[in-house]
Amino acid sequence: MSVTHIDDRITRVDALEKARGEAKYLADLKFENMLYSRLIRSTIARGKIRNIRVPSLPEGYYFISAKDIPEGNKNALKMIADDWRCFADGDVKYVGETIGILVGSDRGVLNKLFDEFSVEYEEETPVISIDDAINNEAAPLCGENNVMCSLVSERGGDVNEALAKASEIIEETIETGFQEHVHLETNGAIATIEDGKYVIYASAQCPFYIRKSICGLLGLNPEDIVVKQTVTGGAFGGKEHFPDVLAGPLLIAESIIKKPIQLSFDREEDMLYSVKRHPSKIVFRTGVDENGNILGSDIKVYYNCGAYLSSSYVVLQRGVFHANGVYLFPCTRIEGYGMATNTFPSCAFRGFGAPQTLFAIETHMDHIARKFGIDPAIYKKKYFLKKGDETVTEGHIIEDVKLNEMMEQITSASDYFRKSAEYEIGSGKGIGISFYNHGGAFTGNGEQAIIKGRLRLIKDGNTFTILCGQTEMGQGFRTALRKIVAATLEVGMDDVIFDAPNTDMVPDSGPTAASRSTMIVGNLGYRAALQMKEKMGEEHAEVEVQYEHPEGHPWDQTTFKGDAYLGYGWGAACVEVEVDKITNEVNVKGIWTSHDIGHPIDELIVHGQVNGGVMQSLGYAAMEKMENRNGHFRQSSMSDYVIPTSMDFPKQEYFFVDNPYPWGPFGAKGMGELVFNGADAAYVDAVERALGISCTKIPIPVEDIEGLRK
Amino acid sequence: MVKSFIPQSLEEALKIRAEEHAIPLAGGSDLMVQHRKGTGVVPEFSSPIMIITGLNELKGIRTEDDGTVVIGALTTSAEIAESEMVPFFVRKAASLMGAISLRNSATIGGNIGNASPKGDLPQPLILLDASVVLKSISGERTILLDDFIKGSKKTELRDDEIITEIRIPKAEWTYGYYRKIGTRKANAISKLSLSALILAEDGVIKDFRVSSGAAGPKVARSRANEEKLIGKSISEIEGLKADILDTHDTVISPHAMPEWRRNTTRRMLDHFLSEVASGAPAGIIE
Amino acid sequence: MSMIEFRLNGKPVAFDGNPLKRLLDVLRDDFGITGTKEGCGEGECGACSVLKDGKLVTSCIIPVGAVGGCEIVTIEGLRETEQGKCLVESFAEGGAVQCGFCIPGMVMAAEAILLKNPHPSEADVRLAISGNICRCTGYDLIVESILLASRKGEGLW
Repeated sequence: MSVTHIDDRITRVDALEKARGEAKYLADLKFENMLYSRLIRSTIARGKIRNIRVPSLPEGYYFISAKDIPEGNKNALKMIADDWRCFADGDVKYVGETIGILVGSDRGVLNKLFDEFSVEYEEETPVISIDDAINNEAAPLCGENNVMCSLVSERGGDVNEALAKASEIIEETIETGFQEHVHLETNGAIATIEDGKYVIYASAQCPFYIRKSICGLLGLNPEDIVVKQTVTGGAFGGKEHFPDVLAGPLLIAESIIKKPIQLSFDREEDMLYSVKRHPSKIVFRTGVDENGNILGSDIKVYYNCGAYLSSSYVVLQRGVFHANGVYLFPCTRIEGYGMATNTFPSCAFRGFGAPQTLFAIETHMDHIARKFGIDPAIYKKKYFLKKGDETVTEGHIIEDVKLNEMMEQITSASDYFRKSAEYEIGSGKGIGISFYNHGGAFTGNGEQAIIKGRLRLIKDGNTFTILCGQTEMGQGFRTALRKIVAATLEVGMDDVIFDAPNTDMVPDSGPTAASRSTMIVGNLGYRAALQMKEKMGEEHAEVEVQYEHPEGHPWDQTTFKGDAYLGYGWGAACVEVEVDKITNEVNVKGIWTSHDIGHPIDELIVHGQVNGGVMQSLGYAAMEKMENRNGHFRQSSMSDYVIPTSMDFPKQEYFFVDNPYPWGPFGAKGMGELVFNGADAAYVDAVERALGISCTKIPIPVEDIEGLRK
Repeated sequence: MVKSFIPQSLEEALKIRAEEHAIPLAGGSDLMVQHRKGTGVVPEFSSPIMIITGLNELKGIRTEDDGTVVIGALTTSAEIAESEMVPFFVRKAASLMGAISLRNSATIGGNIGNASPKGDLPQPLILLDASVVLKSISGERTILLDDFIKGSKKTELRDDEIITEIRIPKAEWTYGYYRKIGTRKANAISKLSLSALILAEDGVIKDFRVSSGAAGPKVARSRANEEKLIGKSISEIEGLKADILDTHDTVISPHAMPEWRRNTTRRMLDHFLSEVASGAPAGIIE
Repeated sequence: MSMIEFRLNGKPVAFDGNPLKRLLDVLRDDFGITGTKEGCGEGECGACSVLKDGKLVTSCIIPVGAVGGCEIVTIEGLRETEQGKCLVESFAEGGAVQCGFCIPGMVMAAEAILLKNPHPSEADVRLAISGNICRCTGYDLIVESILLASRKGEGLW
């Protein structure tokens, strides 16, 4: 095969087997004597378990619960925090909390047994919404005030002084709802024993997370469990920590039953009983002078974390660090609060806390701009961050910021300024614009202090094998990393092997999350390949590299001061709409985006990421409504929780700016999350202008637009 | 496990229906979903089932001499959407029902028999005074669809009967309106729908009908309200409009999203009437 | 209970079991062909799409008892045909495949539209795949890949 170059247009390495229906996803795997399982779950949001009435179980059927965790081991899944219990014990904290796992050979029998289970509770008043948690009228779930985690970021002097000098303080509360991942493949895992070791097959993003999270349940070390990733049918953060919630009960069951056990959710379970994006409430007090110039902004960020902290503190940090958007104000103060509620724990979802605050600041800026009769694009541009500017964590913007160039690209392509001027407010036609960014890789010291990712490259004759823990979940990393390594080695893609990880075979390169794979692990691959180039004469050679943090970029995890991120992806989006004033139906006429992702690694992969991320963001703003009443999610199927079809949004026009990133492979930065972070605000801006309404809460399906048309 | 049957003829189906009271499963798109039990598990029904999908006797569309269009109960939405014999309102509704794959399975008989308030076809069929033909081994009866559907998921179907045909009498109209607002632009369940027609001759309204779907437990139509416009001239529409809109508002009874459903229904009907009043060209009002 | 006989990917087959079993489960469990995926179990997502007598249907809402005498084509059958090869290659070349879970069903939807209209417009293709939900791609590259197949496979449909 000819040598692969980084700018070659590459066909994805796994495309054909997937298109031919040959790829084996979790539910396609069959093991000899494989048993099936169902989780027995809490049906109330909060209360004491009085009694679990287990039906009489036929031979070969098992019910496993907290009592089966060997004594001395903590009933906890060790995620980032370790408060999420493997099995509820004594009480329940949210609807859907795992009480036990029912195992047996026939799925029909399991269903019948499931229906015969009954749990008696002593119900307590649940805390459901952020407002419930803030109002603190029920018994608090956490501490005295339901605050699970909090932090403050401020820069540029005393915000209260700035607000005192303001001619007006613009107060506004912006809210965002739950969002469900709807990866087309639902969650699933299989536990078994191979060669005397526990093995978990999982549709998952982070195999190393799983073994770390569950090993303590049996008093084991992570190395005592093997996790093998199966072909993963979408994840978007929904399979970052959540597979642990399946793997934990499966492991306990496996330790007793010792046969392969499959747990695969159907869609209804996956909708009702899986993690979601954190709902948010963001309160602005922004001081302006008589011309609308911003003097300072005091921002309070509340995230609904659900019943367990799990990863929420890190999500909240990212939310706070992005709450100022792509802007520099004279001074900013941001307080972040993670609120405990009796809802299903919220967790990672593409953007990891940044989309909520970015949507809020963009919408807030639009409202201020329009209040002062200034085009939002012009207004926002005045405050664009640039290289060397101080961030809200008192770190600095390290790279060139090309937002002006990006704005030029999308405003020209969309004819934004003409349309913005011509389409009268309330005319039914509108165009909106937004700007956003996303800090690449782990927040703060995650990469250097916690993850310390490693990658190994092995040469055998003319074949090179990459060993690392990164997973392919549809984002294209299996192709991208092979391409990076092949292009560096100056060999062909086919000479490079990179398979789905097995934790026993590969070093831990860290999770496949946080848009870090290409930027961080891709660079490990690049560095390993550079070292390997020195050994091309050898028949067999091995190279292992580990993450090295660039000098001069400190971070203090106790004060949250310093360079929270070593590089940002940047984005700009324009959305044009026509709204039918009879029905409130929104017809999107055009979508234009520009992104700075450093230097794009692969044309098709980045196109697919932009297109899909922007679509998810538009769905988030326009139609994806997930309500929770008394702890129960009300949307349980793909017909009542609707995500976009091929007909909902038109073909997108997209641009990039080339801005090579010094610490990324071939100049690449992360992009997977960035592309989610802004189309929502541009859409809402456009709809607001078309109808002459002000929207402070998403999503806005037709019925919710009605309430704004007053 | 309940008994299940696959009759090979209508005669056999009627016999099974009479003896076993087996529920007819037409396309499966409603029943198979309502009774699903998850992956790898056979859907669970509480009464015997007969799969009648393959009964060719109940498929097809024809027009009778008087212009009545007769649609076999097992005709799919896709076939209805493609047939030029079928009146505009029904074709349009069929073409917007769910996804393409669903339209290839879902049948008109099933859509009616299921009597979901969100069902797409009953609304335009009721506008057109369609009736259903119900057969049993002891005979056949034809009743107005508006009478057949009693409420949400409730019909007049007896436990020995099968829906065999839907009969749509010829309706002439000068102006027509059909609108469905779904949960999204395609592959969508109806959130609200409205059909309306006006037949005008020499500026005089000979017929006026309006029906609302997904705005209450069953399709809402008020003949008394329609009468207010019949016999009047087009120039009188503007004066009568407010009362007609108000009255139509009283016949819908939306449970969820009431404000949007009421306001949108009013705006749609207002738009239709205003367009007609302002001399729009004959045809479909967009 | 009588046997249910039908043709599966060109070969006569018989199913001896509960006629109310979902066609999807019969394909995956009884015939062991797993290219047809379950995404939602209620006919909403299209991952389980197959062709029944040349028409696109979702196999999760069809009882196997409804396919007696029918011709069922799944991705396993389609991929061996010239049309199928052209489609899967175009999907790969055009960048339509990300996580891939929706793709076998999407390929079936593409086959269904091209059977009906060998030269579809972009709008035709968007409509034709509107029952097939994809959460990864945003659809643009899928649409382009189907248009690519219709050009590359000129004469096949």
